[in-house]
Amino acid sequence: MPDRSHIGRRYSAPGQRIAPDSAGAMARAIAGADEVREAGAVPPTYAAVYCLGPTLAQLFSDPEVGIDLAGLIHGEQSFEWPTPVHPGDVIDATAEITSIDTKRGMTFVRLAMEATRPADQAVVCRATSLMIVRALA
Amino acid sequence: MTVPAASGVAIGDSVTPFSRTVTQEQIGAYADASGDHNPIHLDPEFARSVGLPGTIAHGLLEMGILADAIAAWAGGNANLLSLSCRFSKPLLPGDTIICTGTVVSVDDAGVATLEVGASSDRGDRVLTNGRATVRLSR
Repeated sequence: MPDRSHIGRRYSAPGQRIAPDSAGAMARAIAGADEVREAGAVPPTYAAVYCLGPTLAQLFSDPEVGIDLAGLIHGEQSFEWPTPVHPGDVIDATAEITSIDTKRGMTFVRLAMEATRPADQAVVCRATSLMIVRALA
Repeated sequence: MTVPAASGVAIGDSVTPFSRTVTQEQIGAYADASGDHNPIHLDPEFARSVGLPGTIAHGLLEMGILADAIAAWAGGNANLLSLSCRFSKPLLPGDTIICTGTVVSVDDAGVATLEVGASSDRGDRVLTNGRATVRLSR
């Protein structure tokens, strides 16, 4: 189980390329039966793919932290997008565990992420995530 | 797309009403698009085994729809500067998500802050404590 000794652990996922197909697939998934509103654009929450996905995957498979995925809930999420991203951009993402608290049998893991575009040094996304790990009976 | 002018946006203004019905097929498409294949989103039996009523939508799919609602009002994705929310209640396949937003401030730089959220057509508040900032035209 995660504990406070894991605060400060960092995960790094450089070289995330925003493939047009992948961004388009997410835009269609968000649109569902509706038309994609802004064809060819990268949906803002595509940060799930270039920032959250590759760093959280490392957290979830970090044997030292030992998160039980079966009891995992995404509790809160924040995104800031200082600069828009475009298909073809290559993004470096990092994440850090900023706090871990345990209450009522649940462990609250907070992370801060940042995604930058090395080509112009732009920060394209800052994010925080709250992951809640429930102890399953 | 028209970007609302800062001079024309007032505190208390609402985002254009926006709702979308989320199907299991859409949740599956989102799992493929996001790479999040956690079985709580895809396998009803597994979802029930961990205490859920059945499969549930990804919180980030709901947040993506909320972002879509706000960006539509704001005249495009690039005008959505930030978005945050709490995933309070699960959204189930077949539910319609209803997104709302209200302007709470507009600063001198033409950035509007909105309180935003989403509920299901069953009356659950699925996304709460939501905040968004949006760039308006000058």
